[in-house]
Amino acid sequence: MLEYSEPVVKLIDEFKRLPGIGQKTAQRLAFHILRMTNVEVERFVAAMQDVKLKIVMCSVCNNLTDVEPCRFCSSTSRDRSIICVIEEPYNLVAVEKTRSYHGLYHVLHGSLSPIRGMGPEDLRLQNLLPRLRPENNDGVEVLEVILATNPTTEGEATASYISRLLKPLGPRVTRIAMGMPVGSDLEYVDEVTMDKALTNRHEM
Amino acid sequence: MLLESLEAHQFRNLSGKISWGKGLNIIYGDNGQGKTNWLEAIYLLATTKSFRTPRLQEAIRFGEDLAVVRGQVSRSRDVQRDLQVTIQGNAKALSVNGKREAVMRYLSQLHTVAFTADELEVIRGGPEARRKFLDRGGISLHHSYVQTLSDYHRVIKQKNQLLHDVSDAEMSIAAARILIEPWNEQLVGLSAIIHRARADYVERLRQALETRLFGREEISIRYVSSLEGKGDLRDYEALIAERLQLRLQAEIASSRALIGPHRDDLEILFDGHDIRTFGSSGQQRSALILLDLAAISVYYLWHGEYPLFLMDDVDAELDRRRIGHLLEYLEGRTQTFVTTSKESLVKQFAARAIVYEVRDGEIVQRATSETDLITTIATGTSII
Repeated sequence: MLEYSEPVVKLIDEFKRLPGIGQKTAQRLAFHILRMTNVEVERFVAAMQDVKLKIVMCSVCNNLTDVEPCRFCSSTSRDRSIICVIEEPYNLVAVEKTRSYHGLYHVLHGSLSPIRGMGPEDLRLQNLLPRLRPENNDGVEVLEVILATNPTTEGEATASYISRLLKPLGPRVTRIAMGMPVGSDLEYVDEVTMDKALTNRHEM
Repeated sequence: MLLESLEAHQFRNLSGKISWGKGLNIIYGDNGQGKTNWLEAIYLLATTKSFRTPRLQEAIRFGEDLAVVRGQVSRSRDVQRDLQVTIQGNAKALSVNGKREAVMRYLSQLHTVAFTADELEVIRGGPEARRKFLDRGGISLHHSYVQTLSDYHRVIKQKNQLLHDVSDAEMSIAAARILIEPWNEQLVGLSAIIHRARADYVERLRQALETRLFGREEISIRYVSSLEGKGDLRDYEALIAERLQLRLQAEIASSRALIGPHRDDLEILFDGHDIRTFGSSGQQRSALILLDLAAISVYYLWHGEYPLFLMDDVDAELDRRRIGHLLEYLEGRTQTFVTTSKESLVKQFAARAIVYEVRDGEIVQRATSETDLITTIATGTSII
């Protein structure tokens, strides 16, 4: 016999498919939904359907967007000579928050990881190379590609793979620096980060 | 450093809290009472690992969902810290003074050198046990080395999978090279750090080896890189990069990463002979003790304080003469924890030790005649 009636079990199972949600949380969420009003539930369902209907992947940079091409790619005020390559759409938000980067983006939607079955063909790379040709970039030549993949072994391998791909084509290829978090005390920085920061030190 | 006290909840069959002595602590009890469990708890508190099992959840008492080991460590008269390891399912949480701490920083709080039956693998077993011995030493000097090792193993795992895929797909060497090189590039840097850390640690051990502890026996060690004889090891990066290039085809053919410090070894000679094949069982134990003492000395020279020394089932591992030498050497140096089931051994060393008796997981300090007297007087006065 099921521990709850069938519709409740089905809802719990659906929640459990979501990342980071186990049996207990799924149960709590399901019972929360049971307590919600019909209007609230409809709004929730509509919001989920809306993202699926309205959000598409930008054909130029693979960013998630509700307009095609996305706001960054169609912007006239962004610097089209520089492209920042990132793993996930939410990494874009992190770079954008700095307000000091005004170039374009390219979202890979993943990183190289043989153990997870992720090879180059599983990354959104096919549309990166054509972007380097001025005729595909509003006549602007791409001068620099910044590789801002994560500082993990997978992110490093991805950056290395892409740099080997791009370098023969001409643009300057750079990797973001690894080092000290700003606003923190030296004593709170772990040794690996400190080591990277020392290695990547610069002239003053 | 000193482990002042230790408390265990639902960790195997242990219960209660115990204060330890500054010098030699003898944990005595019949077999199956939980002596080794107490040693394991100390080891867990220091290393966040068990010397008995890679699956920590096995140490949670049957029917319970979490186990806690907590200890108070003092580094100097004024610096005392509460360490705690909580095991829940296959996850563990580490905290220092009640606050969650990342493993790298946690590990700097308490260090142990442990002599256990399993550690004899360092002498008798395959090269992996010896690499682990060196890596434990490397971590004891530089805690960030944990990250290097973890990155290295991750890259090797990824590369092995890739080599396997590439060989299955029957790809051309040129196409395979493009996929494998991004991983090899990382291997070069990580391998160089590991190679230098191990070679440096072996050099420190060599200088520290107390060759005369057990009489005339001499032990000598040497780090044997798998790239030895292939070129100039002083320019390790260039050498390994070249080997990785050269051996790519062989790596694809065998679907395994063949080049790197995961193939290195530590050579241990006893009186000039390979200890693994020529050493008697007693000599092998002596050699391990000498290596452990060297590790203690290297730690002391680097940090200015002694680690804890743990020894499980001491009389099963060493004869009385050697135990005597060893404990004499350690006196005034390390805080030492040994387990035994031999009453005679307890009697022999009781004068310079604090003795604990374990029954059914519970541990009590056995009163020495002197403290006996004090307790009697204390109870006596309280009655009056």
